[in-house]
Amino acid sequence: MKYEDPQINAAAVALKKLFEKTDDKRSVLRAPELAALYDHLRTVPAGEQRAKFGKEVNQLKQELEKMVREAAQPKAEVSPIDVTAPFDINAPAPSLLPTTKGSKHPLMSELDNILNIFERMGFSAIESRQIDDDYHMFTSLNFPEDHPARDDYDTFMTDEGLIAPAHTSTMQNRVLKAGKKDLENGKPIAAVIPGRVFRNEDLDARHEHTFYQLEGVYVDKGINAGHLIATLKAFLEAYYGKSLRFKFQPYYFPFTEPSLEIILSCPFCEGKGCSVCSHVGWIEILGCGMIHPNVLKEAGIDPNVYTGFAWGGGIDRLVMMKYNIEDVRHFESGNLKFLRQFS
Amino acid sequence: MKMSLNWVKKFTDVHLPVNELIEKIGAQLGAVDEVIDIGKKYEGIVAAKVVECVKHPNADKLSICLIDDGGVVKDVKRNEKGLVEVVCGAPNVKAGQMVAWLPPGVTVPSTFDKDPFVLEARELRGVVSNGMIASARELALGDDHEGILVLGDNLKPGESFTKAYELDDVAIDIENKMFTHRPDLFGMLGIAREIAGIQHKLFKSPDWYREDADLNNDGRKNVLKLSVSNEVPGLVPRFCAIAIKDVKIEDSPVWLRTYLARIGVRPINNIVDLTNYFMLETAQPLHAYDYDKIKTGVLGVREAREGEQVTVIGGKTIKLKKGTIVITDGQKPIGLGGVMGGADTEVDKQTKNIVLEVATFDMNTTRRTAMEHGLFTDAATRFTKNQSPRQNRAVLVKAVAATKKIAGGRVASEIVDDKHFKTTPVTVKTTAEFINARLGLDLPAREMKQLLENVEFKVELDRDTLRVTVPFWRMDIEIAEDIVEEIGRLYGYDHLPPALPQRSIAPAEVNEELAFKARVRAELSAAGANEVLTYSFVHESLLSKTGQDIKNAYHIRNALSPDLQYYRVSLTPSLLDKVHPNIKNGFDSFGVYEMNKAHIKGILDDEKLPKEFNRLSLVLARKKPAPGAPFYRAKRYIEYLLSHNLGIAHSYIPVDESDGLPKEWQIAAAAYEPKRTAVIVASDKTILGIVGEPTPSAKNNLKLPAYTSQFELDMDAMKLKARPHPMYLPLNKYPETTQDICLRFPADISYAQAESFLFKALENASKPHGYQYWLKPIDIFQKPEDKAHKQITWHIILTHPERTLTTEEVNKLFDIIASDAKKELKAERI
Repeated sequence: MKYEDPQINAAAVALKKLFEKTDDKRSVLRAPELAALYDHLRTVPAGEQRAKFGKEVNQLKQELEKMVREAAQPKAEVSPIDVTAPFDINAPAPSLLPTTKGSKHPLMSELDNILNIFERMGFSAIESRQIDDDYHMFTSLNFPEDHPARDDYDTFMTDEGLIAPAHTSTMQNRVLKAGKKDLENGKPIAAVIPGRVFRNEDLDARHEHTFYQLEGVYVDKGINAGHLIATLKAFLEAYYGKSLRFKFQPYYFPFTEPSLEIILSCPFCEGKGCSVCSHVGWIEILGCGMIHPNVLKEAGIDPNVYTGFAWGGGIDRLVMMKYNIEDVRHFESGNLKFLRQFS
Repeated sequence: MKMSLNWVKKFTDVHLPVNELIEKIGAQLGAVDEVIDIGKKYEGIVAAKVVECVKHPNADKLSICLIDDGGVVKDVKRNEKGLVEVVCGAPNVKAGQMVAWLPPGVTVPSTFDKDPFVLEARELRGVVSNGMIASARELALGDDHEGILVLGDNLKPGESFTKAYELDDVAIDIENKMFTHRPDLFGMLGIAREIAGIQHKLFKSPDWYREDADLNNDGRKNVLKLSVSNEVPGLVPRFCAIAIKDVKIEDSPVWLRTYLARIGVRPINNIVDLTNYFMLETAQPLHAYDYDKIKTGVLGVREAREGEQVTVIGGKTIKLKKGTIVITDGQKPIGLGGVMGGADTEVDKQTKNIVLEVATFDMNTTRRTAMEHGLFTDAATRFTKNQSPRQNRAVLVKAVAATKKIAGGRVASEIVDDKHFKTTPVTVKTTAEFINARLGLDLPAREMKQLLENVEFKVELDRDTLRVTVPFWRMDIEIAEDIVEEIGRLYGYDHLPPALPQRSIAPAEVNEELAFKARVRAELSAAGANEVLTYSFVHESLLSKTGQDIKNAYHIRNALSPDLQYYRVSLTPSLLDKVHPNIKNGFDSFGVYEMNKAHIKGILDDEKLPKEFNRLSLVLARKKPAPGAPFYRAKRYIEYLLSHNLGIAHSYIPVDESDGLPKEWQIAAAAYEPKRTAVIVASDKTILGIVGEPTPSAKNNLKLPAYTSQFELDMDAMKLKARPHPMYLPLNKYPETTQDICLRFPADISYAQAESFLFKALENASKPHGYQYWLKPIDIFQKPEDKAHKQITWHIILTHPERTLTTEEVNKLFDIIASDAKKELKAERI
């Protein structure tokens, strides 16, 4: 492109030469030649003359910007390769990364640990869904239509009205239905349900919209709240490898009656108070209760014959407490500085 | 729900020390969020009489007061008569008043929570002021700071202000979530009942709290016309109202203000304060209207109509939606039912006549209205818990009596009582056995009866059977399991005997999917890759940057963050997105992988729900390029995983040559450069996944290094094909012979063709002699000057299970292969 103004034309030639030579193509946009033109523009008397000069300077700038943009595009031409070959022509076989660099995600490792304990206790695992319907998320769990208890679960919804489950309880009805045959054959339903759940919340160091939960369900004849308490105690003591003290707090869930929250003496400070337990010596760890008869009924199980308990708790928090992780957002960050510490 | 311990004590004795009480509340009522020591906030404040009040010589607006505190405050300078000098800036201070004096050393209550201000003896324009005389605002008892708070004459100089107003109190904040189903626990009365119950003490509601409460016949005249017209009896089961004439609107008495303020409710005027007081006490919201502002003498209740609006207290104008319950003056809306009163009929300083309303609004409608307009008022909080319509009359009668006492006025109408609900109490029949079986207890029926009667259930006992009549304020008890909860909680969960369930020792079923994931995780991590987790939802821009069409993705309609607009349709883009930040962080060469789910709009499973594709994706990136196309690095990992570890036979088809690729793989392949991508196919044609390089535009958009490659695999297909364990071949006693063979092929012969030829040739040549063979490619070479050919070199290992091979027979075998190669593929042995 030719410029009428000799000063601009000279600058254009110089800048294009620079563009050819330099590796940092963007540097032409910062070049003193261009800045000088803008400085000069301010000294041109206002009116037609300035307008004309300004227009040409802008044209030059746009031309340069376009050149920079195009240079940034990778060469559109990708040469085809023989995808059936083990390695490229005239190239060595690529090697694997060194084993020492590899790592498992701490949430997944911890989930394995936890599932391992429950498997030893006789529980089978079933993974939770990541997209579900209102029936499984709420209705089958004894949430009446439009009930305010639904407000506690800030759920993500799709245009179709599908739900990103806010708790792993979304699998309860399926697990109970599937286990009905076992019950009739004299076998208890003993299941744990790990999975990813979602809450439509703003992110901060303590709140994630995406996290992992583990749900548990146990149903048989003659199951009572004492069994619930003993089972969760047994798990938590196995998990922390020490004996702990427990407190129970009444709670409300539509799908259990009665509902409780289990609080344990802080396993990191023996209940003396530390940063993990916010210096109170106790940690609220999971919600639980006796399965509501309506939930059993909804799965075709007679609540007068069978009773059961269920519980649920977050995995992220357990892992954060274990390693003293300061920010829950690290888990889904994909940051290798974080992840490689768990190799 | 914030409770005041002193308020609760009006209804039941509490002798437990506060810390024990809090423990007990936590264990048997609900989680305690916070305990606030009200006594500490008001510590050291003393009632004092202003004996003398003169103008400050050096300041127009200040007065110098001499106050009499009965000499109780220590360490303060007194004059010869024992009076204390305090400078006061309030225009209303006068000799003879009883005031709240904050002596030096005392903290100003309004500053207690944030930045405590401790008073001292301080000179104000040449006169020493010993502390201060407090205004209502400084005492955190309201907004009024025009003047000092004047106390009643019933106080004596020197009397503790804190004690006189029962401010030696503790506020306990219990998590609302615990009470989602307990309307009664949003009032002090209900909490008091429960606190008695968990201490195993008998509770009795005050006499006035009964369903059939009525006004005394006090010679009232129906001088103000009042009627209620309820068009939505299903949503408003009860609406009680009464008119009161000639009230005097003023500040509430100090005691009333202190009771509201201690649990965080702002005092406004006597009428509004009384409605709040009884709401806090009984959980039943009340509302007061200025009778004369209603004009019609009619309160209508109906659903809002399209286009209507109402201005609520505080001045916010709300566009009403259909389905919202409104209160009208018979014509136009004047309030949001159950949520907030209207500004047009608000009680103010000029109000003479009022209407008191005690109504019940449907929980779900109230909830929707509150959420729609973001009006989470105290009334809405209570109505959304399903308040009982059977308490309205008791609350109204009590509030009328208090109004007359505090604001004067006389009853000017009948109680208008519009009601549409069942009055028969709920009864539940159950047995001690049923309850014990669910709690693991062995409680006798009569002990259960006592626990329930303590909180005013009526219980008839017939041997083991309990016939329980539910008190009118409990809306949550319907079935026997609700009684189980009641007994368990009142008895104390801490006392339930723990026992592990008994079951057979049959092994629990293993979850194959999770076990397979664990296996893949172990293999990939051992190969130096890093497992990541990334969000299931992605920003629209990530989809478009990687060439994915948003029409295939489920759209999230209510995400708070734009980063979470769509369910992802494949995992690879999420992982590509993690490359640049890590490169920037100084990682030069790495591989990140994830096992997670993808969802594609329109592809459903057996439940008619979106099919959950279980996928594994790995992305390998290297800041500086290595020789050869990056594709082969990803392929190296496929071989490691599928061939080496899982033993899955598979082949590679260039994606642009593969016909009939299923939709889900076409979608995933959109992020892959077609010229450098292969579909991985099992021997039975099952598609295992795709491997390739990102498209140039994805590379550009995500700032990926040139040397980036990736794969995405179907975990379910892999699991089905994976061998359960490694294959074993008996060890050979005889030495193996290794020899390289290099063949020059025409350039258009693919490696796969060359290799399959070699396999076939080896097989044909070996079979008659019983040789065993392995081959491994070691080099693919092309001379720069001869692009028409390429040379492939393999390492071939030969053995025989029964003897040592001779050089001659090996050479012979290689010669046969070479001549076959020439015949079939025009390949020369080099």
